Amino acid sequence: MELIRQAGARKGARSDAFVGWLFVTPAVLHTIVFMAVPAAGALFLSFTEWDMTSAPRWTGLRNYQEILFDRDLYPDFWVSVRVTLLYAVLAVPAALFTGFVQAYLIDAVRRGQGFFRLAFYLPVVTAEAAVAAIWRWLYDPQFGLINEALGLIGIDGPDWLGIPEMVVPALVLIAAWQSGTAMLIFLAGLKGISRNLYEAAEIDGANRRAQLFHLTLPLLRPTTFYLTVTGIIFALQMFGVVYVLFGRDIGGPESAGLTYVLQLYVSGFRDGEMGAASAMSFLLFIATLLITALQFRLSRRDAAS
Amino acid sequence: MGHRRPESRSGRRAPAALRVLAFLLLVAGSLVALAPFAWMVATSFKQPQDVFTSTPHLLPTTEDGQWAGTLASYTEVFELGGFGGAFLNSVLVVAVLIPLKVLCAALAAYAFARIPFPGRDRLFAALLTTIMLPSVTLLVPKVYVTQWLGMADSLTGLIVPSLVSAFDIFLLRQFFLTHPKEVEEAAMMDGASRLRIFWSIALPMARPALAVVTITAFIFHWNDLLWPLVILSDQEKYTLPLALQALASGRVAQPHLVMAGAVVAVMPVILIFLIFQRRILDGIQFTGLK
Repeated sequence: MELIRQAGARKGARSDAFVGWLFVTPAVLHTIVFMAVPAAGALFLSFTEWDMTSAPRWTGLRNYQEILFDRDLYPDFWVSVRVTLLYAVLAVPAALFTGFVQAYLIDAVRRGQGFFRLAFYLPVVTAEAAVAAIWRWLYDPQFGLINEALGLIGIDGPDWLGIPEMVVPALVLIAAWQSGTAMLIFLAGLKGISRNLYEAAEIDGANRRAQLFHLTLPLLRPTTFYLTVTGIIFALQMFGVVYVLFGRDIGGPESAGLTYVLQLYVSGFRDGEMGAASAMSFLLFIATLLITALQFRLSRRDAAS
Repeated sequence: MGHRRPESRSGRRAPAALRVLAFLLLVAGSLVALAPFAWMVATSFKQPQDVFTSTPHLLPTTEDGQWAGTLASYTEVFELGGFGGAFLNSVLVVAVLIPLKVLCAALAAYAFARIPFPGRDRLFAALLTTIMLPSVTLLVPKVYVTQWLGMADSLTGLIVPSLVSAFDIFLLRQFFLTHPKEVEEAAMMDGASRLRIFWSIALPMARPALAVVTITAFIFHWNDLLWPLVILSDQEKYTLPLALQALASGRVAQPHLVMAGAVVAVMPVILIFLIFQRRILDGIQFTGLK
């Protein structure tokens, strides 16, 4: 701080370069130490065998080979890939759909907009650990509120977290409950659509349904695209909720809730295979880049047609 | 964002009946959205024996409907569950981390927006590229760097590696760019230093953006589970999400205790959120990020 003060005392443009550098130094140093070095480190470590205590041993591409092809060493790797992809493919549309319906309705009412925004966003600001703790109790097969509610309409609710087939749907339901981000951003999109367009559509005789499908939804396509990309990136990194939801029984029944990052965590921090965990994190990085690139490509073609 | 319009969409002349239907649907929807919270709070006030009943009651009552609310779960969770210590740790971490984090970001953002210096734009571009890296990718080596710096298993290890967020810098820079230059130039004429201008003019003017950054950082770090999980092993240093995770994965199911713990972990965020809701929601709507 003393340095900054001295620097600030020198006046005029002459010292701007110095002051400018001084102002950005904390951020730049931090980024080098905690971003650039780890990024390079992650790549290097992914080519080594390393338990974090002894020195890393160079093994070339072996980690990648073993993760991808050795079913004996990593029996659950592809399971975690499948779980994560299934989750992303179901949870993202679910949250987008819920979020859009919420936004569309909120935009239509006159009263209580503030309250509804609040109510639907609250699940998003809740800690993952708390979300999981609450839903674990809600999903309780005997005493949980969900099956109790289902019982009211005559449905015999399943043991959501105990049956492998029900685990991903249970996670998707939580994601739909946390649709607040999509709701807010759709709402901003809806408010950005000019009123004149609706008036013109009305003059042309378009009813509300036609307006929704031929005006509102097409105009919201950039918003939907943005939410899809960020939603998928986020879904691929799903960790906290599944970690707490299944407690000691990591990954849940038959690893049906073993997400990619959970598998990475287990390999690195439980089994002490940091090299393999680094390789997994790089594979995730590459997958994220590929999926994002693919989405941009599709959206461009979409826009062109 | 386009131009601002009045809240209600009277221009579309939604028929009153439809508006009422939308309102009712929203009321039902928000009840569903809030039900888990109500269930959490209700369970936390129940006696252990009233938690497991064949027909779940929302209110803390016995099987035959007698009122039986209690604060016992809270005292137990604070004393035996270690939530007292965890609460203090969480408070300590955010109290130190958040001001420093906002200051670091604001300093850098101001320089990137306002102070011409050689290499500035290239440096900013380089900083921005780090936003694209998923945090999980850096997890393992970041843990190693933190250990190497001697910060493993300490609250310092929770604070220092999280001090800078490139996204915050980006957001604040956008804000500083919109400030009128004239005010600063006048101050400079009067002999004010860059630091003085930053502290007394730029920062106060940027208050709305600083509030968004501060509150989102608070919510994120208060809730964060992954980083404390990989960096801490000593239970004494656990933050609330970790303590809650430990409690929830205990061998014996104790929903009344877990829900009391969840209330303790969730309430500060909900309070902050209720107080600053307009600012947060508008901020998120504006930046498109949570």
